[in-house]
Amino acid sequence: MNDGKTAWRNIRIFASLVLIGAVMAPIFLSDASWPVTARDYLMAQGQAESGAVNLVSAIYLGYRAFDTLGETIVLLIAVTGTLSLLARVESLVSPGPEDTSSPNAKGFSLSLEKRVSHALRTNLLEEVTGKVGPIVLLFGFYVMLYGHLSPGGGFQGGVIIASGIVFLALGNPYEDKSVLVRPAILGGMENIAFLLFILSAMSGVFLGEGFFGNPLAVSGTPEGFIILMNCIIGMKVGSSLAFMCIVMMGGANHD
Amino acid sequence: MIERILLLVLFMIGFWAIMAHRNIIKKIFGLNIINASVVILFILEGSRIGNEVPIMYGGIGLTADPIPQALMLTAIVIGVCVTALSLALAVHLYRTSGSFDIDVIKRRIQDEA
Repeated sequence: MNDGKTAWRNIRIFASLVLIGAVMAPIFLSDASWPVTARDYLMAQGQAESGAVNLVSAIYLGYRAFDTLGETIVLLIAVTGTLSLLARVESLVSPGPEDTSSPNAKGFSLSLEKRVSHALRTNLLEEVTGKVGPIVLLFGFYVMLYGHLSPGGGFQGGVIIASGIVFLALGNPYEDKSVLVRPAILGGMENIAFLLFILSAMSGVFLGEGFFGNPLAVSGTPEGFIILMNCIIGMKVGSSLAFMCIVMMGGANHD
Repeated sequence: MIERILLLVLFMIGFWAIMAHRNIIKKIFGLNIINASVVILFILEGSRIGNEVPIMYGGIGLTADPIPQALMLTAIVIGVCVTALSLALAVHLYRTSGSFDIDVIKRRIQDEA
C-alpha cells in the first residue's frame, strides 16, 4: 500500500517535470534574434537625455522609473507582511511585551556569561564581522553615490549597506550596540526614504517635467537627479533589507 | 547553447525541489533557484547583441542591451522580498503546527478541524 503510494507520487513528480520541461524548453533554448532598436537608441541618446553615464541607472531612474516606484512598494509590503507574521509568532511563543528596540536589549551574539558553557562556539564570527562592518558600510555608500558613473547604483549599494548593518548587528557582543541595528530606527529610516522618494519624484511636476520628470533636465547637470534618487533608493533598500534580517534573527538572546 | 541547456537544468532543479520535497524550507529555496535561473537567462539574452558593459565612456563598442539588466535589478530585490515573506510564513506554520513537513502540517490541521 505504502510502496504503491510512493511509486504513484514519483510518477506524478516525473510527469510534472517532463511537462514543465516541455513548456520551458522553447523559452530557454530559443534562438530568435534579440532586437537591437532599444539598445541603439539608448547608446545614441541615453546619456544626453538622462545625464547618467551608466545606462542601466538611466533606465531604472529615468525611462522606467515607475518600475522602481512599484518595486519600492513591493519592498514595503514585504517588510510589513514579514513583520506582522513574525510579530504574531512572537506573541504566540512568549506572551508579554518583549521590546527589542529598547537600549538594553541583548546583542545577537552569545552573551558573555554563557561563553564558558558554550566552549565550542568561538567568538571568531563576531570579532571579524564587527571589524568588517564599517568598511562594508563605506563600500556600500561608494557604490550608491557613484551609481551614475560606474557599475552600481541604489539597489546594489543598498544591499551592501544592509549587509554592513547585519555585520554590525552580529559583531557586537555588548549591550551598547549601534543605533543602526535597532529595528525602530531602521523602520523610521525606511518610512522617511519612501516619503523622500515620492517627494523627489513629484519635484519635476512644478518645473513642467511631469511625475518622475528630471527637474534638472534643462540645467547643466541633469545627473544630480540620478544621484539624489540613487541615494534615496539605497537608503530605502538598505534599511528594509537590514530590518527584515534583524527581525528574522530575533533581536534577543539565542544560543 | 550549452549555457542555455544548463539554465534549463537549473530551472528544472528548482521546480523539482518545489514538487518533490516535503520540507517547506527546501521548497522556498527551490523557488529561489528558479528565480536565479530566470535572472541569468535575461542577462544572457541581453548580452547576445554586444559584449561591452553599458557604461558610455568614450571608445566603447557595441554594448549589451541595458534594458534586461535594469529589469533584473528590480527582479532580484523582489526575489529577496518573496523569500523573506515565505520564510516568515514558514516560521509561522512551524510555530502553530510544530513541523516543517507539509504532510504533517496538513494532518495536524485536519485533526484540529
